[in-house]
Amino acid sequence: METRRLLGSSLLAAGLSLSAPAAAEPHDASDDGAEVLVRSETHFRLYQRALLPGPYGATISEELAAPIVEYVSVSANDLDAPWQKRSLDVELDVWGSATFGEAGANRRMDGDVRNAFVRYRSGPAWLRLGRQSVAGGAARYSRFDGLSAGGTLPFGLGLEAYGGLTVLPRWAARPGYHQLGSPVESLWRDPSALPEPERAEHWVAGGRLYYDSSRFDAGISAHEERERGELAHRNLGLDLRADLTRKLSLGGAGVMDLDSTRIADARGFAQYSPFRVLDLEVEALHAEPALFLSRQSVLSVFSTDAYDEAGGSVRYRIWRHLTLSGAGFVQLYSDDELGQRGEVTARITPGQTDRTVILTTISRVTAQETGYRAMRNALRQRITPVVDASVDAYHYFYDDPIRGYDTSRVYAGTLEWRALRQLSLLWGTSFAQTPHAASDLQTQLRVRYVAGGTL
Amino acid sequence: MSALRSSSLWLVVAVLVALVAACGDRLPVRFPHAQHLSGVACGGPGLPDCLSCNTCHRLAHDNKQAFPQKQLCRQCHQSGDARLLAVRPPANQPAPLAYTIRFDHKKHLAMAEVKGQCIPCHAGAAEPDATLFPPMARCFECHEHQKQWDKAECGPCHVRKDLERLMPETFVRHDATFQRGHGQAATQQKKLCQQCHVQAQCDDCHDVTQDLSIEKRRPEAIERNLVHRGDFVSRHAIEVRSQPARCARCHQPSFCDSCHMERGVSGGRIDGRNPHPVGWIGGSSDAPSGHGRDARRDILTCAGCHEQGPATNCIRCHKVGAYGGNPHPKGWKSSRSESAAMCKYCHVN
Repeated sequence: METRRLLGSSLLAAGLSLSAPAAAEPHDASDDGAEVLVRSETHFRLYQRALLPGPYGATISEELAAPIVEYVSVSANDLDAPWQKRSLDVELDVWGSATFGEAGANRRMDGDVRNAFVRYRSGPAWLRLGRQSVAGGAARYSRFDGLSAGGTLPFGLGLEAYGGLTVLPRWAARPGYHQLGSPVESLWRDPSALPEPERAEHWVAGGRLYYDSSRFDAGISAHEERERGELAHRNLGLDLRADLTRKLSLGGAGVMDLDSTRIADARGFAQYSPFRVLDLEVEALHAEPALFLSRQSVLSVFSTDAYDEAGGSVRYRIWRHLTLSGAGFVQLYSDDELGQRGEVTARITPGQTDRTVILTTISRVTAQETGYRAMRNALRQRITPVVDASVDAYHYFYDDPIRGYDTSRVYAGTLEWRALRQLSLLWGTSFAQTPHAASDLQTQLRVRYVAGGTL
Repeated sequence: MSALRSSSLWLVVAVLVALVAACGDRLPVRFPHAQHLSGVACGGPGLPDCLSCNTCHRLAHDNKQAFPQKQLCRQCHQSGDARLLAVRPPANQPAPLAYTIRFDHKKHLAMAEVKGQCIPCHAGAAEPDATLFPPMARCFECHEHQKQWDKAECGPCHVRKDLERLMPETFVRHDATFQRGHGQAATQQKKLCQQCHVQAQCDDCHDVTQDLSIEKRRPEAIERNLVHRGDFVSRHAIEVRSQPARCARCHQPSFCDSCHMERGVSGGRIDGRNPHPVGWIGGSSDAPSGHGRDARRDILTCAGCHEQGPATNCIRCHKVGAYGGNPHPKGWKSSRSESAAMCKYCHVN
């Protein structure tokens, strides 16, 4: 028991002794120890790229890149606190990469901590400390180092609050390259010309008050975000969902920018499933792009134009072997121009099980003065109980030529071997011909390990 | 046209491959439970004892699923009997994940409602096409599990490490429709989501600062509706025009210029191209092809290149008293005073 209280040694022990319990073995949950889940994913990639594409096919310089990217996530639930059993959860999630070859010479090593927090639960309340994210409502998606807490109140009510320093990726590196991601995919020319960010001047705070019942959920949320000590976002969010019957649900969510007292975006929907094989949904969306910008952007004061979107989707399982789905949306822009996007997908499973899946999708997008048609065909085949293969082909036809070319095509394939229940190996490769590359060949090997057990 | 022909050819090949593969795709031969339980003469003089579920599945003794030993079958069937071989369980094939639940058979069989019978839950045993494993709805016919639902606890029955790989089929179904609205579901049903998902799984897609996009990490997931599939680089300018605010939900505007700079299509490069047509800046800002109209229509696209802090190039002309005029559109307002740091770049006095 003492061991479980020591988190470090617990996780180490878990890593050494994870095993899958026998199928259908009964447990009394109250006797279980802490549950640990380990996920590891390693990508070995290889590709050649042209940094300065000229006209179609006439690349100016080429670089060979061979990045290795590792993701590791460890989570443990129901650990014992010294004063209360089964009350702590922990999660650690990191990634790192090393780039070999000619590309990425300036930043061969990279990485970051995505999450690292401890959650304490006691009765209806919880408290979370560390690097974490808040999503949805007025917050949209924010990552911070700090504290969040919440709990359920009487009458179905609940309250959550959070606050902390905004995570500036790569340990508060200067803005720019980290917003793109891969070091081989970024070329911020002189990061030292940008001011060094002061972490204390970047912070977030907010909360959500909600009502939750089996048929009705509603919440009101607030979120404030500061950049360089000045206001970046001050949002008020509202979300609700009502299951009117087992077949019909209505809902919506919206975020208002309190600085301008305008609605940044709002979405309403209705879902209807009259039969198990038929799903229908209609939705409407309103968005004002300028309100997605930080209030610290001078560009945020230049526009109040918005656009609206309305449409719906349907999924109908016509036959055991055939499911059709489609979606269509119309956009109305501020200058009364119309746009539209739609797609129809057929999912075919010709066998008696889902060992073989074929997808065929036709889509059409028209936007302001441009658009494209696309066709996608994909096939997934379970070759043996532990080996899967997939192939994917995309073809695009552009209304207006891009760099003089009006089509592009991408072919991709994978072969996956689940060597063990916890371990799988995947080899994937892709080949593309696009307006930006006469040929683009990439390949990768992925090693994935997911295992869990009890301490 | 060649691309269209290639696309059609590919589809034909895929269908042919699938049809060939499907020929061998048959449901595994099921053990004829009904035949053994009620289709064999038994109990009379000279006849074998009648079989019950417990004859083969000795749940009462060890409280496990207890797949019968071969020797049990051989009490009636000769070794090498084709029927014996036909119903062999597949070698080296793990049990489906759904089977790994915490369940006390002994306790359930002792309940008055169950009366020691297996069929009330395993009714599928008597039907050739039905699953042997009872659907979750069967559990809820007796158990309300309200306490667990209120606390969003799946753990009493499900094993957590399996939950990550089990897809809900009858409620919270994770299809394309769900994906479009999953943000709201995650807000409202956070505790429920946390039963299967760790925070890292949200970040697999939503953390845009990581090295690999989710499309590169999950190339085998052909049925997932991923945003950047296929030749996204070529079509991204169309997508952003179609849904102007969509990119900004995840990406900061400087993301655009970092990529454009690297690919040589940013005006910020010494040898970069200026994407704007001649006369775009001068003249009336309200002209059909003027920069003012375009800026108001989709300011996020402007921000893709021109978001370099408050002292961005726009305010060289649009500063108060400068010749660019008032850039604030009709209806624009802010609760901040003009003494706010950002406002002072233009409102110098």
